[in-house]
Amino acid sequence: MLARIEYALRETWASFRRNFTLTLAAVLTSAIALLLVGATFLIQRAFENLLLQWRGDVAMIVFVRSDASPEQIALIDSTLRAAPSVIDVEKIRYLDKAESYAEAQRIFAGDPVTLSLLTPETIPTQFKVVPITEDADLVRSLAGQYRTLPGVEAVALAEDEFEVISTLSRFVRTVTLIMSLVLLVVAVGLIWNTIRTAMFARRREIEVMKLVGATNWFIRVPFMLEGLLQGLIGGVVSCFGVWALNSAWTSGVATFKPGTGISSLVVPSGYLSGVIVILLALGALVGAIGSAIAASRFLDV
Amino acid sequence: MIRLDGVTKVYGDDTVAVDQVSFEVAKGDFIFLVGQSGSGKSTLLRLMSREEIATEGDVWVAGRNLSEMAASRVPYLRRSLGNVFQDYKLLLNKTVFENVAFALEVIGKPRHVIREQVPLVLELVGLADKTERFPNQLSGGEQQRVSIARAFVNRPVILLADEPTGNLDPATSEGIMALLEEINETGTTVVMATHDHRVVNTMRRRVIQLDRGVVVRDQERGVYE
Repeated sequence: MLARIEYALRETWASFRRNFTLTLAAVLTSAIALLLVGATFLIQRAFENLLLQWRGDVAMIVFVRSDASPEQIALIDSTLRAAPSVIDVEKIRYLDKAESYAEAQRIFAGDPVTLSLLTPETIPTQFKVVPITEDADLVRSLAGQYRTLPGVEAVALAEDEFEVISTLSRFVRTVTLIMSLVLLVVAVGLIWNTIRTAMFARRREIEVMKLVGATNWFIRVPFMLEGLLQGLIGGVVSCFGVWALNSAWTSGVATFKPGTGISSLVVPSGYLSGVIVILLALGALVGAIGSAIAASRFLDV
Repeated sequence: MIRLDGVTKVYGDDTVAVDQVSFEVAKGDFIFLVGQSGSGKSTLLRLMSREEIATEGDVWVAGRNLSEMAASRVPYLRRSLGNVFQDYKLLLNKTVFENVAFALEVIGKPRHVIREQVPLVLELVGLADKTERFPNQLSGGEQQRVSIARAFVNRPVILLADEPTGNLDPATSEGIMALLEEINETGTTVVMATHDHRVVNTMRRRVIQLDRGVVVRDQERGVYE
């Protein structure tokens, strides 16, 4: 067993050196493809911060003053429920101080100045409202009425804050996803070609191996390992790229004025490590697929 | 050890390489397959090592019916066979020792077995003093000895040789034949395809003659006609 493992590793390394330029091309392509995948994830996550408070078809948020009395809050609640033709009363959700504060911490993660102004005591609570009608004007006129209720600090409409960003986010996601998918397919193709070339270069050896009774798996494993390694190295390179991109972006965002919304576009480091794991796994997968196709199709020499 | 039962091999749609061939080779035999180029000698050898599958009929080798053998079992069949070719099929980037060791390495033999068996077999073929040479630094006869060493190092029960003396001069051929005879004496069944008259006439072994895929003569202690 040990002899087999040693053989596989030795052959993988030898083949790596022999096909250096092809290997480099395959590794770089997978790195760029994966970098784009990583960027898609990060951009998506950044937008998500911005869109967080509007998640779940929420179209209107009624912010309630932090010093509002329980009676005032109950009045707002019953007023909202009095318009079942416009508002989906089943989906009215009230976020108390603790919940609102937790949400704010995510939204303003990149904006410590704004965040420092908020405390669990002074933060406005909020009603999240999902409309039942398609008529935006109706929702807007209703929002105007709610602004006059006692205890209401402000009423925000998704139409005003959310639509543009949402459209932009969808567009960016579509474009980066398509580009990264195309590049991933190209990466699989390049790894396939590299492995095929490596196998062709060693066709005499493979012929002898088959003659003396080496199993197909024994012949395949070093080649598959080689492809896997190429994808994995591409993954490692892309991780450095994603990390560098994110650091540059985060430090750039810090120079923006607080409260402009741009500062919401940062990615927490926990999420970044999640992305890195995904990229490494995806790189290995790309390599495995490319080399598996090559190794199973070109064994007959 | 080997039995062919009405074996026919058709390449493509209509090229009949072997037509209804039946014969049996007992354990420890040494037989010659003779005939002109294209008479089906090589095809028979390839059928025996299951590089080809019979279109019709059964090929039995070492107790196994190759027509019914699963592809995944073929490597294990090959481990009980040795193959020798006219063009040696040596790996030019490996030394004599490495070429022979390769055959053991790729079937997963541990290193101590390789260190023990390779020098033994190189001694047998008379190349004990050239283990670190590369194939290009050897004569044709020496290269064929390396390839025989590689075929024999795993102690196969059958040795299949396709024109092993085809590229060699008569004196060198004699040495190779002496070596094959020596291997045969250890109990290994040898099947050799050849059109080398001298070799066949000197050895006086069983001769199976083929003509356009058909057995036309099967003679004990035969000569080349």
